[in-house]
This record gives sequence, structure tokens and C-alpha cells, in this order.
Amino acid sequence: MSTTNRTEVIQPGVHNDLADLKPEISDLGLKRPDHSKNVFIDWLTTVDHKKIGMMYGAMALFFLLVGGLEALIIRTQLAVPENDLISAQRYNQLFTMHGTTMIFLAIMPLNAAFFNFLVPLQIGARDVAFPRINAFSLWAFVAGALVINFGWILQALEMFGLFTASGATAGKNDFVPAMGWFGYAPITSTEFTGAGTDFWIMGLQILGVASLSASLNFIVTIINMRAPGMKMMRLPVFTWMTLIVSLLIIFAFPAITVALIQLMFDRVFGTNFFSVAGGGQPILWQHLFWIFGHPEVYILVLPAMGIVSEVLPTFARKPLFGYAIVVFSGAVIGFLGFAVWSHHMFTTGLGKIATAAFSLLTMAIAVPTGVKIFNWVGTLWGGRIRFHAPMIFAIGFVWMFMMGGFSGIMHSSAPADAQQQDSYFVIAHFHYVAIGGILLAIISGIYYWLPKMIGKMWQGNLNIWVGIFTVVGLNITFFPMHFLGLLGQPRRTHTYLSGFGWESYNMVCTIGSYILAFGVLLLVVDIVRCFRSKQLAGDDPWDARTLEWATNSPPKVYNFAATPVINARDAYWADKYGPENRKLGEVDEKHGIHMPSQSWMPMIASAGFIPLGLGLSLMQAGVPFMGYVTILGLVIITLGISLWALEGPGGYHLHPKKETN
Amino acid sequence: MKKFKVFCVWFMGLLSLLLISGCNLNTRMSTFTAKGPVAETQLDLFMLTVWVTGFIFLAVGGVYVYVVIRFRDKKDGDDSIPSQGHGNPLVELGLIGVSILLLVIIAVPTLQGIWYTHETPNDESSLLGSWYTNGDLSEADAKEPFIIRAIGYQWWWEFEYPQLGITTANEMVMPAGRPIHIELRSVDVIHSFWLPKIAGKVDLIPGRSNSMWIQAGDTIDAWAKKVEFEGTDNERQVAYEQYLEDEIYDYYYGQCAEYCGDSHARMLFRAHVVNDENFYAWVNRMKEGHTQAPEGMSWEDWYALYDETPEELTGDIHEGLKLFMGRALCATCHAVEGNPRAVGVAGPNLTYLAERHSIAAGWLNHRNDDNTVDSEAQLANFNKWIKHTDEVKPGNLMWKAKGAGIGELDPLLNDEEIRKISLYLQSLQ
Repeated sequence: MSTTNRTEVIQPGVHNDLADLKPEISDLGLKRPDHSKNVFIDWLTTVDHKKIGMMYGAMALFFLLVGGLEALIIRTQLAVPENDLISAQRYNQLFTMHGTTMIFLAIMPLNAAFFNFLVPLQIGARDVAFPRINAFSLWAFVAGALVINFGWILQALEMFGLFTASGATAGKNDFVPAMGWFGYAPITSTEFTGAGTDFWIMGLQILGVASLSASLNFIVTIINMRAPGMKMMRLPVFTWMTLIVSLLIIFAFPAITVALIQLMFDRVFGTNFFSVAGGGQPILWQHLFWIFGHPEVYILVLPAMGIVSEVLPTFARKPLFGYAIVVFSGAVIGFLGFAVWSHHMFTTGLGKIATAAFSLLTMAIAVPTGVKIFNWVGTLWGGRIRFHAPMIFAIGFVWMFMMGGFSGIMHSSAPADAQQQDSYFVIAHFHYVAIGGILLAIISGIYYWLPKMIGKMWQGNLNIWVGIFTVVGLNITFFPMHFLGLLGQPRRTHTYLSGFGWESYNMVCTIGSYILAFGVLLLVVDIVRCFRSKQLAGDDPWDARTLEWATNSPPKVYNFAATPVINARDAYWADKYGPENRKLGEVDEKHGIHMPSQSWMPMIASAGFIPLGLGLSLMQAGVPFMGYVTILGLVIITLGISLWALEGPGGYHLHPKKETN
Repeated sequence: MKKFKVFCVWFMGLLSLLLISGCNLNTRMSTFTAKGPVAETQLDLFMLTVWVTGFIFLAVGGVYVYVVIRFRDKKDGDDSIPSQGHGNPLVELGLIGVSILLLVIIAVPTLQGIWYTHETPNDESSLLGSWYTNGDLSEADAKEPFIIRAIGYQWWWEFEYPQLGITTANEMVMPAGRPIHIELRSVDVIHSFWLPKIAGKVDLIPGRSNSMWIQAGDTIDAWAKKVEFEGTDNERQVAYEQYLEDEIYDYYYGQCAEYCGDSHARMLFRAHVVNDENFYAWVNRMKEGHTQAPEGMSWEDWYALYDETPEELTGDIHEGLKLFMGRALCATCHAVEGNPRAVGVAGPNLTYLAERHSIAAGWLNHRNDDNTVDSEAQLANFNKWIKHTDEVKPGNLMWKAKGAGIGELDPLLNDEEIRKISLYLQSLQ
């Protein structure tokens, strides 16, 4: 209600240019940080989904490189048998952080970067439904990432003898988590691991808050903020996948939230959820973790499928083959994703019936996944395929993802899986999905949408070399791992004896990992070159199909000068090539475009997560006064959210002139 | 396009190089060389999935390559927009049908495999009483399958034979052609029992009673059926023995497959698969233990001297044993069957330790190719383990038990003393 009242304060038609706007005073009597000339303040307080998306992307690319570096150290250690480049503990910390980093700090936020930037543009909205919550999600993600990685500092201090743990984790010197990214109880108890586990618990919990709030935001945005005529079955597939992924997060994350709270209580307050001595059940953790963890796999991969479902039609110059079935199969994958978690637990002694049920359900999930591949091939059939950079990676994606799918089918046969589980075969499988699938799709998305994001065009042919090095590198790294696993090498082993026939495979894998890393490095170089490029991209460099290409590159802060009216699926393609009645219309908005006000509060509220997470973890390591710091964190969060509520929503109106293309 | 072709050539070249480089599939822990019915079932299922997915790979992959090449933009100036087809429900339904059909091909044998690998055979000929002819069994034991209890510790394995009353560590001995019910227990964190050539893995979870069954080689009936043997019972027995001799009696390698902390990589184990006679002989020796103290002394005499006038016990082995029982505190945690005062339970049982082909849970090896022990390497391994236990197995209990006084030994045990303990350990055979 108050929003409606407020908008009437501002006279329509007064402001045509951002430069004329002056920041208003919030209900707290403070000046809102709108229209700041200070770039720093502008980005820290921004509520613009495009800027937030780009910050997600930058952060995620940084952590992609961090996780990659961790992987390179792991591979270097394993290059030769009985290597002692790093200690067992350091190795265990590296593989734990590699998994955690890649999943929660690289791929999820890379996906979030695309969600943020694209979804409002694809549905013809001005921004997401809750712009300040969107900023909160971003900063909570940053806080979580800091908490998870803080242990490296303590570990460095410990190495120089400047810090040792006391208190609850006395004698444990692992300050970086070292229990694997799925942290199976009881190795996560204070009996076996130190404060690293606490950093991991608190960090993941904070990242969960970020993901949950972002997902609610996207669900509301996609359901409620679509432009007139953008029916659900006209949504771009990427937006559809965002919606499904957001729903998956809403249903999957509470399971890990509960499990992490139980684990935290076990460690901090001595409860007995997972402690056998106290009557707890370690296996409970696995169920709770994987009922989150398996949907998480689809949370990672569905956006990739969405990206590819946008890129293939554009460069084949044809609509997506079987749009409805692709969307529906995405939903089925999401739904079945909750019914297959125990295939991660085939070796835990589930019993015959449960093993059989999860075996069959896992096979069933191959059907909707296969359907997507058929539809992608069908999309190319009869098209006119142009091999621009995004298309090269999308084609590579289909190929490599298919390989990952095949080994997935092999896992679904539970007795066969008994030999593959926890061996290098599994590592091969999920890296084909994660790198061959997700990462290639994300690179494709970067090549596709970066010109839209920054308005500049790619230079030269470096993209081909990125493609060659990543695809060749990933195959050389991970294909031999199938054999390593079947020849009996268990995963998560910091070294191995010679004489088991593993030496040459490991050496090849290590060489491959460097090739792959070089490919990613070239990608970074190419991105930097694109930022420095002088060539403008124009609004529609690829002759694309969906609505985001109908606006400027980079899009103005208000996205569309006038809210578009949608009359077709592939709205922009229909506007360009379709019949008259399918072209885009315009909503005649007398009040102009309502823009949200910027705010410090989301960042302040999420900054409170840092003392909360670090305080509790450091308390576990016996650092004095950390209980108070934890409480301080809670106070900051509460204060930030309260002031956020009290400052009022604000907002102002813009009356842009529609620029001619 | 030209670059794309170059890329393809490079890619295929490297891939084939890779395939050529790794042809030896018969290695120590290879799942391709299945040596028992459980592993064979698992391998058969795996190969079935390989064939089915291989077929899909060729079919879908073939179409995919064709489509990408056939429908590429030929740069012939034709810039017209291709037909904007939206899909074809019949094609979709057909492909879904085919996918389901292909999965059923995998699903049916999978279900059979799940039941087969989960249920320890309990027909008459599988029960312990039906084949075990080495002394008396209780009635209850005779009606059970043969049981070995594998207990996981950070980072070593204990193997109990509850029906036979013996315990060993890290190297189990088992008869060929007999189904064995393995009870899986853990005392600390989750471990996983994996003996790839004989069976896939099952986890050892604290507070949970898991089990699995394994069998090295076929039973005589299953083997005869498989090779369609024709001949008298006697010929059959001889040929079966030959089959076991040629293919099954061996030294098998296993390893913990679930991450279990710092030294997870060094939690290995072994299984000696032997014939019934050798198995019985081993059982009897293990039951009896070391009936005599070094140099043929009785334990009573030895302890009389040890308690009253220990300086009279001279010589490396006596001195090693004195350290073992005394200042080095070994017997606090380790048991040696026969020695009445070495009854520790926190560490591996050391009965006939010197007959094992490895120590430190399979990490330090002293096995010759002809199935004998390389005693020089063995002595070096004992020395290395006692002196640098933290380097061999970071975080292990023997190193961590500083509270029990072991840490203090570090400066107190000099190289000479360590050598004496090693020599004593080497006498345990």
C-alpha cells in the first residue's frame, strides 16, 4: 500500500534523465544511496539485478580459479606413486575444499549470475520482485564464502606455530575442513575433526540462506513479473529451468539446513544426533545430506541445460525441438531428483528392497535426461548451424554430457555400482557431468551473453583454443579415470603404492588437468580481452530469438524503455521475422518506470553473518571472547533487517525515451 | 571449419593414444578379472551396461555427428531462414519408448543381481558344518555359513573368525570355493570393505550391523556346471583342484574405500586364498599361538627370569621381547596368542606377524613373487614402522597415544633397541 502512495508523490513526466535525479530521504531520515557518483557506493548498495548478476559472476569466476588451483595441487600430488609433495592432511583439506568450492562457490553462483542477469530481461520485467533481497542474497553468499575459506588463514598461522586449538577441539589442527564435501558422520564429530568442520558447517549454512532467499525471489519474479502476454508456455527455456531450479532449492536446502543444525548442535552443545555412543545414527546424516545432495546435482545441471536450450536454437536458426517436452522433462528431472538420493548409498547396506527401488528410479531418471538430448539433436536437424563460439561449446556440451550420462546409467545398476562406488570411476562420471556438462554450458553462456552484459564484442579466435584445450584437457584428465576406478583405485586417497597398474593412468590424468587448466586460463584472457574490446556488440549480435536481445547492450538500468507485450514464444525472433500479429507490442505506461531505491541494509544484514560464522567456529577452536562475537553477529543481522524494514521501500520513476535501434 | 577439423583430428588422436596406453586390465585390484561369483555378477552387469550404453552412444552419437555436419551453414550465400519446425510428438514418444525398452534390458538382470549379491547362500552345502572337517564345531555354528568379522579401525583391519575362535589383522586367510558371510563392524568412523577381484564394497558403519558375502572361486558344483564337466567324481575333484590351483589360490589385494580420515589412503588389507588343508593348518597354528618363548623356553620360565633377574635374558630376541613387554609398552595395545601377558586389544593382533607379507595395514610390503617373505625387507619395514610410525601412517593411534607414554619413547628408544624389537617381531613365525 505504501508503495502506491509513495509513487504518487513523484509527478509523472518530470524526470527523463538519470542525471537529474536526486536521492530522496528514507523513513529513517537518512539519505538513500541512490544515484551516487561514487562507483564504490553505487556497486555496494546496488539493487540492480544486472549489477548483482555481474558481481555473482566475477566472484564465481574467482572461486572457479581457486577450486581449479586446488585441483591442480591434488593432481600434482597424485602424478607419481608415494609422492610426498603435500601431507595427507593437506591433501584431504584440498579435496574437501575443491568439492565445496566448485559446487557452492563456483557453479551455483555462476548459475546465479545468469539467473540474475537474464531472468528479468527474458520475461520483460524491470527488475526482480524483491531487489533488496536480491542484494542480500549476493552479500550473504560473499559472507558464506569468506567463512568457509577463513580456515586457510588459521592453517597458515598454525604452520608457523602461531596458533593451536584449545577448548572443544583441542589437539585438532585441521582448520580447513578435511572431511570431504559430503562430511559423513561420525568423522565430522569433535572426536575426529577440528575447527575446519565448524567453518564448513557455518559457511554452508550461510550459503544456504543466500540460495534460499534468491530462489524465493526468482519464483515470485517468474510467476508475477512477466510482461503482458508472456504466458508460462512462452517463457524462454532458461527462465523455465531457473524456476524449476529455484523450486528444487526451496525443497532441497531445508534438509541440509536441518542436518547442519543437528551437526552444529552435536559439536557445540554435545547433542547426539549422529553420535553412536549417545544413541545417534551416523546413517541419518547420509539420508539428510543426499536428499539435499542429489537434487543439488540437478540444481547445478538444469541451468546448464537451459543455457544450451537457448544457444542451440539461436545458432541453428530454428525453434527448440519439442519445447513443451523439454520443459516438462526438466520438471520431471526435478521431481524424480528427490526420489533417487539413496543411489549414493548403495554400499551402506540399505537392504534388497530399497536398493532395488532406488536402482530402478535412477534408471527412470535417465529417460527425461535422454529426451533432452534427443530434442537438442532434433533442434539441429534441418537447421543452418553457424559455428560461433557459444555454439562450439554447446555442441561440446551435448557430447560430453552424454558421456557423463552413460556412466550414470552404469551406476544405476546397484551391483555394478558396488565396484564403482567411491572409486575413480565415480570421479570420472561426475566430472564429465560437471565439466563436460555444466562448465562447457556455462562457457557457452558466457560467450553468448557477455556481449549483452557489457555491450562489447569478442575479439579474434581465441575461443576456438579455449574449446580445444578445455575439451581435450577434460577428456585426457577424466577418461582414464574410468579405468583407474575399475582397476581398483579408491578416491580420496592422498597417495598410492606402485605396482597396482595405476601409475601411467595417473600421470596421464595429471597432464590432462594442466591442459584443462590452460584452457580455463585462456578463457579468462579472452574475457579480459572482451572487456577491453573497442568493438560494440549491438543489441542483437547473434540474430537471437528471446526477449533479452530486444533491448540495448548493455541494457539500461530500467531494462526496457516500455514494457513489451509478448505475442509469441521466441518473442524477439517473431518480432523480427514473424507475421504482424506476432510482433512485440508496448505497454503505454503513464506513470513511467518504477525504479527501486538502493540500500545499505542488505549488505549490513549479511555482514552480520561473518562474525556469526567466524565467532562460533573460532569459539570451537578455543579463541577467547568468540561467544560474544557470535552474539554480535546475530545483533548485526537483526539490526540490519530491522532498519531495512523501517527505512521504507522508496523508489522513483523514470520516463525514458525509447531509443531507435 | 578448418580449425574444427584440426581439432577433431587432434582429439581422436589423443584419445586413441590413451586407449592404447592402458590395455593391461589384469592388475592387482582389477574388477575386470573377477575371481568369485559376486564379482562375476557385478562384472557381467557392468559389461551389460557398457554394451547398452555403447549401442546408444553409436546410435545417438552417429546421428549427432551427421546432423552437425549435414546441417552446418555451408557459407554458400544462402541466407534464408530454415523451416521453423517445432517438434514432432510421434518421434518424441517413439524415442521415449525405445529408451525405456533399453533400460528394461538393464533393469531385469540388475534386480536379479541385487538379490543374488545380497543373500549369503544358505543351502545345505554352504553351511560351515557341511565342509569344515578340522575339529568340533558347536551345533549352532555348524548350521551357519562360515563367518568372518571384519572390524574397521583408523587405519587398520581386524579379522575375527568367531566360529573358530581366532583373530588376526590386515591379512585374512580364507578357503577357496567356500561362501563366507562377512560381518562388517566399525569402532570409529565409516570404512568400506573392498576386495575388488572377489566382491564389490560394503560399508562398515559404527552402530550398524552390515554384512556381505564373498567367495573366492566357484564351488565345485557351480564350476562343474559352468565348464560342463563330464567324468567320475574323482576326476571331477582333481580337475576342480586344478582349476583352483591355476586361477584362484592367490594373494588378493583389498583397500578401505570410504574416506576415513588422515591415513585413509594407507588402510589396505590382503586376503590369502588357500585350499582347505592349508586353511586348517593356519587355523590350528593361530589357535595355539606361540606356545613357547624365544629359544624354546616355556613362558613360565621366561617370565620367572623377566620378573626376577631380567638381566639374565640376553641376546637380541630376548632383549627385544623384554622391551616389547616392558619399556616400549607394546603389549599394552597388542596381543600375541600364546604369550600370557601380551593381551592388549587396542591395536592389531600380532600372532604370527612375521608370516604376513605386509605390515602397517598393507602399506609396507615384503612379499616375494614366489609367495614368500623377503626377510631383509621385512626387518627394514619393522624398523621403519617403529621409528617413523607417524610418517608411515599420519595420525595413527600408536603415534597419538602420547598420553599413554608412547610419545616419551621417541628419545628413549634408540636405533639399537628398535632393531631388537624388530628382530623379536621377526621371530613371530
